[in-house]
Parts: sequence; C-alpha cells; structure tokens
Amino acid sequence: MSILFLTTPEFWFDQIVNGLTTGSIYALVALGYTMVYGVLQLINFAHGEVFMIGAFAGYGVLLALGGQDISGVMIVVALVLALIAAGLASGATAIAIERLAYRPLRNAPRLAPLISAIGVSVFLSHLVDDGFLNGETKHYDQIFPAGKLSLGALNVSYLQLFLMGASLAMMAVLYWIIQRTKLGRSIRAVAESRDNAALMGVDVNRAIVATFALGAIMAGFAGVLYGLFFSSIRGSMGFIPGIKAFTAAVLGGIGSIPGAVVGGYFLGLAETVGRELLNEIPGVNLPNEWKDVVAFALLVLVLIFRPTGIFTQQEGKRA
Amino acid sequence: MGTKRTLLRFGLGLAALAGLAAIATACSGDDSSSKSTATGGSAGFTAAGYKAAGLDQAKNVTVDAGANIKIGISSALSGDVKSLGLPIADSAAAAGDGVTIAGHKLEFVREDDLCTPEGGPAAADRLVKAGIVAAVGPICSGGTRASLAIYDKAGITHISPSATAGDLTTPARPEGPYVTFFRVPVLNSDEANAQAKFSIGTIKAKKAFVVFDTDDYGKDLSQQFQNFFKAQGGTIVGSPAGYEKKQTDFKSIIANIKAAKPDMVYMAGFYAEATPFLQQLRADADLKSLPFMGGDGIKNDELLTGAKDAAENAYLALPGTTGPKFADYKAKYKDADSATFGPEAWDCATIIIDALKKVAKDNGGKLTIDLKALNEAIKNTDIDGASGHIKFGNNGDRAGAIVRFFQVKSGKYVEIK
Repeated sequence: MSILFLTTPEFWFDQIVNGLTTGSIYALVALGYTMVYGVLQLINFAHGEVFMIGAFAGYGVLLALGGQDISGVMIVVALVLALIAAGLASGATAIAIERLAYRPLRNAPRLAPLISAIGVSVFLSHLVDDGFLNGETKHYDQIFPAGKLSLGALNVSYLQLFLMGASLAMMAVLYWIIQRTKLGRSIRAVAESRDNAALMGVDVNRAIVATFALGAIMAGFAGVLYGLFFSSIRGSMGFIPGIKAFTAAVLGGIGSIPGAVVGGYFLGLAETVGRELLNEIPGVNLPNEWKDVVAFALLVLVLIFRPTGIFTQQEGKRA
Repeated sequence: MGTKRTLLRFGLGLAALAGLAAIATACSGDDSSSKSTATGGSAGFTAAGYKAAGLDQAKNVTVDAGANIKIGISSALSGDVKSLGLPIADSAAAAGDGVTIAGHKLEFVREDDLCTPEGGPAAADRLVKAGIVAAVGPICSGGTRASLAIYDKAGITHISPSATAGDLTTPARPEGPYVTFFRVPVLNSDEANAQAKFSIGTIKAKKAFVVFDTDDYGKDLSQQFQNFFKAQGGTIVGSPAGYEKKQTDFKSIIANIKAAKPDMVYMAGFYAEATPFLQQLRADADLKSLPFMGGDGIKNDELLTGAKDAAENAYLALPGTTGPKFADYKAKYKDADSATFGPEAWDCATIIIDALKKVAKDNGGKLTIDLKALNEAIKNTDIDGASGHIKFGNNGDRAGAIVRFFQVKSGKYVEIK
C-alpha cells in the first residue's frame, strides 16, 4: 500500500546517498581491521574504541572552539583541527594498545591477543562511559552549513557531500602511503613474511606500529565524521560500527585494502537500500527494525558464493 | 583457506561465549528470585498456574526500636534515562524528609532499574531483600511489567510514578491484575488521545508519520496514537518506523518521511534518541518546518541542551498537572519545575507515608506493619497531591486524567493553554 508512492527517483537517490555516507564511515574503520589483520593476522577488537576516542577528541576541540557559535571561516579551521586532534588521539591510543596489550603476546597462541583485544575494547568503552561520562551521551554541535546541492529534483546535503568526499580523499592518501612510500613498502613486506622482511633489514616493530597508527588515524577521522553526521556519541558507540566495519573487511576480503573500502560501501548500501528493495516486492512490508537482518542475510549470501570475500587476496598484495 | 577456518572458529567461539553468558545470567536470575521466594515464604507459581498472591501470606514486618522504616525506590540512576530517573528518585525521597512515624525515621533504599526489563526485576529482588515495606517504582513500563510478579510474591505494594503502558494493570492472566501494583501517572491511552486531538485541532495535521522506540512504552504509545488519530479522521502515511535504544542513524527513516509527505511527524520514545533524530530531521532543508510532536519521554531539559536549534518549535505532550501540594514539594526539592514525573514521584512516596501512618502499630518501641493492611490503605488513597487530586480507580490506575502541551520557543518549553 505504502509501496506505490515510495518509489520515486528522489527517494531512491536519498537512500543511496544515505547508504554511501554510512558506508564511507564503515570503510574508513574497516581499513584498520584489514591492515592489522594483513600484518599480524590479529582481529583488533579494540579498533571500535579507537574510533570512539577519535570522536571524543574531535568533540572536545569543537567545544573548546566555541561549539554552536563557530561560524564562517572558523568552521573550516575547527573541522581541520578536530580531524587532526582525532587522528592524533586515536593514533596514540592504538600505539599504546599495541605496546601494552599485543606486543607482549605477539608470539603467544593466536587466541591470546584476541582475548586481550576484547579486554581492551571492554575496558575503554567502560572507562569513557562509566569513568568519565557516567553513562551520559554527548552531542556534536551542528556547525556544518545546512544547505544542499540540487540537481533537478535530486538533493544532496553539503554535509553528506563533505563526508563522502573527505573519506574518499583520506582513503586515497592511505593507499598512496601503502603503495608508494618506503614506510608502505615495509608494511607490505612485513605482511608478506615477517621473518623475510626482518632478514632484509626491515624494522618489523616499526612497520607494525605504523600499521596500527595508520589504521587508527583513519578510525579517528571516521569518529569525527560520525559525530558530525549522527551527532550522538558515547563510550559504547564504537561497538556496533566496529562490528559492522569488521564485517565489511571480511566481506571485502580481509587483508585487502580495496576490499575493505568496497565492503564498507556494500554494507552501507545493503543496510539502507536492501530492505527498501525487498519492500518493492508486492506483499512484503518489512519494518525498519529489519534493516540489519536484511543486510546480514545479504552478507551471508555473498560469503557463500565468495568465501574469501569480494577481493580475493592475492599473494604480495596483502597489507 | 587458513583465514577462513580461523574466522569460522572464531565466530563459533564468540557464539559459544554469548550462549554461556546468557545461560549464566539466566541462572543467576533464577537463583536470586528463588531465594527471595524462600525468605518471603509464599507459594508463587506452580505448574498448575498461579496459586495465591504473596499478600495473603505476607507476614507482618517488625521494625526494631530505633531502627528506620525502609521504603524502596526503583528508578534509573545511571545510563541514558538517568536524567529522568534521578529527579524522580530525589523527589520521592524528598517527601520523607524529616518525617517520623512513632519515633521511627524513614529510610529510602534506592536501586537502579536502568529503565529496562532486565534492570527492573534485579532492582526488585534487591529491594525485597533489603527489607522494605513498600516501594516507589519501577519507573518504566518494560521494567515494571517484568517486576510485577516479584513484588507480588513478596507481598510488597509498589506505586509507579511513571509507568504508563496500558496492559500493566490489565495483564493477560486468569487471576486478573496484580493487587500489589498502583500507579499515579496519566496513562498512554489518555496521552495518545490528547495528542491526536491536539494534532488535528491545533497543528491542523491530516497526515502523520509515526516513529517509535521499539520498547514497551514506545510501541504502546505509538499504537494508541495511531488508533486515536485515525478515529478522529487523520491518516497515517508510510509505515510506522521503529528504532532501537541508542540508535543514532535516522537518515533512512527520514528518507521515508520525506517520501511519505506527511503534515507532521509523531515520535514515541525518549530524549536520548529524539535529540539526534531532530538534528538529522532539521538538517534536511525540506523538513525544516515539518511539525514534530513528542510525549513525556521526550520532554526533558536534556533535549533542549542536546538538540539546541533543532528542538525549536517541537510540540511535547506532558500528562498530569500541578496540584495543591506542588508548593510543599517545591519547598523540599528545588528543581521541582523541571522534573518530569517529579510531582508524581513525590505523591507516590506521600501516599505510602500516609498509609504507613494509618496502619503502623507501636509495640513498646517496636513498630509492626501489616503488609495487607498497608495495601488496603494505599488502595483507599484520597488525597490532594503535587500532581493534583489522587484516587485510585479500577485495577490500581489513577482516576481522572489531564494532559498539557508545550512548544519549544527560544530554547524553552512554553505551555500552550
């Protein structure tokens, strides 16, 4: 019944843009999972909390610069500073986690660092929620100009454009670092074979720390974008996006950087557009609460046909 | 291949962990309730069905000389609903400030029910074990529904200041409503009816889009609103959209709202989610001036400080009114004006205290309280409270209902008369 008038091009365009925006956040966070997995074969479950720390760092900077009252050129300055602060805070957190919780366990059985990762994740989310905020939720001030870009009947808000553009730029820079710099080469070498890389004179520890830091910086950026877009942040906010981003990384082919990006967009779209598509079938009317069910069902389907993910890992391309 | 194997194993491990945790929680839950049954000495549930209310078998409670009389408070003291829950707890406790009954002081035992179906029974268990004679709470409908049987088994009468779901006082069980449960708030059905009238009469809306929290309160209130809105000539457009607590991404729902072209959007839920919802709604230039109507869970000062400009012009319904004893309440609790359900909480405690004064018997310094007589005295309440005149009608619901409306203007709630 409601189906007929929902099927306007504008509606689909809105939902696709929404899917791509959420997808860009998943993609940015997924990069950290996939890089660390590529290098250490470790699922860094604390990565969602690294994302949360970035969101709070950005929130603090925006608040310190005047919150709601930021306007004009100061908006650009504030956003840049917030992103830098988030990148630094997340990067520092990830380096500390690696040093304290993972490095001592590097040669332990595979499950030990995994449990350590879950422990760090629980610790950080509760530290912020119960230690600092007493369970409260904070809200990003909506400083971004509210306008939209119109193409005929189709509209995209400036915020969504900025989000998609900024995340693409960040991912491009990361890809360039991995593919074209000495640091990137050392990371790829360690991913291929830690022992051989060490024999060739690569500083393995430095490469591993760099992997954590780069992934964390992306997650920190994602935290600020998340806050700007969805507004509510809390200590436990990293859990769901963390699980989703991890899923995106597996879907794309864990260990593969382009895979994480594609997986992120796929999951974002599956969530927003998947349910609406099913609702186009006459007689089907899935309520909004089913969006995750639809997204994850699609995911299982993809994995059945491509068990190693969309981008099957190629030798030498890991990292 | 190795990767896949590891992941699969890991997934199974996680599932197993989750399963174990669930079992552990379930077991500990069982454990504590069976313990409280043992101390209460009542029959409780059997395979053949419910036998008798704990009230019929409840013993008298004796308060030793010099000891305090304990009254429980089950409220959300932490988490997302705490800025609703803390003022409720403080308001209830304020009613006992300086009150003594035959020389015994009152002591309020506070337990955190988190406003959840898991937290409610846990708080109820702890309160019963603490030796309370009656309780204020739980504050939310989901937590209340899950706790009714625990208070009933223990023979403890409890009064909720804010649980508004319709079926709490008409549960689907052969023995009928729980006799140990009373409540002072105006019900969801009364609130929804008034909201529908206001939407059609004052907002002049014909087509509404409904958004709701998928908990008991949100489901019930939104369903009642839809029924009343349709009965009064309105149309519900699009499919009502449910969301979960802590959800922050409302963009997909908002795209549906835009496509359905309503005259207004109706939300049944709490301010924690209403804040990002309104911010995302107002960020869309086309929906900037779409009228928004919310209820008592959303009308909170946190909405104003969190959503700021996005909250502007929102309509909020607030059941209840201020009664003759509001000044007494305000004298004891300085934030009385902004405490949603604060007057009701003060009244809950006042009702319990008045009933205690009637039934408590002094035995040479010791105080004896007959729990059944206390229940009876609460049932016959007829007082002027901070939230208006209070009498209990059928099934423990409050008789008579008043709903007020507010609009956010320049960052403040302004009452629409």
